[in-house]
Amino acid sequence: MTDVLESGGSPIEWAHVASCAACRSRLEEARAGRELASKAEVPEPPGLYWEALRRNVSRRIAEEPARRSRWGWLAPLAAATAVVVIIAVSLVGRPPAPSDSAALLPAWSALPPVEDDDGLAVVGGLADGELANWDEGRGLGAFVAGLSDEESEALVAALHVERPEGEL
Amino acid sequence: MDTTPSPVLAADGASAEASTARDAERQVIEACQRGEREAFDQLVVRYQRDIYRLCYRYLNNHEDANDVTQEVFLKAWRGIGRFRGKSAFSTWLYRIGVNACLNFRAARRPAAQDLTETLPDPGMGAAQRVEKAQRAAQVREAVSRLPEKQRATLILKIYHELTHQEVAQVLGSTVGTVKANLFHALGNLRKLVAAEEGVKP
Repeated sequence: MTDVLESGGSPIEWAHVASCAACRSRLEEARAGRELASKAEVPEPPGLYWEALRRNVSRRIAEEPARRSRWGWLAPLAAATAVVVIIAVSLVGRPPAPSDSAALLPAWSALPPVEDDDGLAVVGGLADGELANWDEGRGLGAFVAGLSDEESEALVAALHVERPEGEL
Repeated sequence: MDTTPSPVLAADGASAEASTARDAERQVIEACQRGEREAFDQLVVRYQRDIYRLCYRYLNNHEDANDVTQEVFLKAWRGIGRFRGKSAFSTWLYRIGVNACLNFRAARRPAAQDLTETLPDPGMGAAQRVEKAQRAAQVREAVSRLPEKQRATLILKIYHELTHQEVAQVLGSTVGTVKANLFHALGNLRKLVAAEEGVKP
């Protein structure tokens, strides 16, 4: 109906209004309302009022606390981000703290599994059967401590094999 | 030789002028967003009449309209950093204005009626001027008694000549709802005035 009121509406709408007394009545009422509305002018304040209004707004804005610019909020955010990044980098780049506690050692070892360990085969050969009595509970340190000087040198030479770069 | 510009060229010229005005306003708004108070002064000068009249139509007296108009511009200054230009600046400002008026009315009922003001019109006799002013006050009073959405729609559409789409943006509504509210508002306005006059609508 608003379209009919404002711009006449489509031919179909107009045909309906022409044939429907209720719609025609509502349309007339809305037209009369629009005519009335046009009479409700707002009293124009004195000419000096607008300048006074502008000055008052300007004064009140001047009394407002300083406002940051549109992107001003980025500064504290950037500072906070920088602090977080610096802390993260310093934590990641720092070598792990040494610890005497075996419980804190990682579960993995750089040593290969026993079956793949060439070094153990060499040690076994040098030990002349001593390895048959090898017991993990006994420890490699005790075994090496029992070697003579010649055996120790031979062990070092045998273990000093060059491996391709990147291979453990 | 006929030097009258063709309608098409005239339309192009008007469009270009509007585009230039929009660009200029955008620059002023950006300056405001950088915190330049002098730039905001330009927006106040440009829109103070519109906002004052909007407030007057809601509040029906000069004193309240004056207070709320100032509040609207203060709110606009505080919030201009959040204005992203998705709607026209005037639409954004009207939205602040409508909300400020609604809040003011909610806090201070009943609205005062200002029947003493007269419209200066040198072409009229004193009796005619008084009669016209009284009629205007009567209609404004009837407008102020319309339901909220109908009143807002009527004020923005009839007195501020916003499009249906712009009214919908200001009120957070749809074009269909705006059209329906406008139609009902006009019909109800007619009934309210007729009831006050004691005549059958």
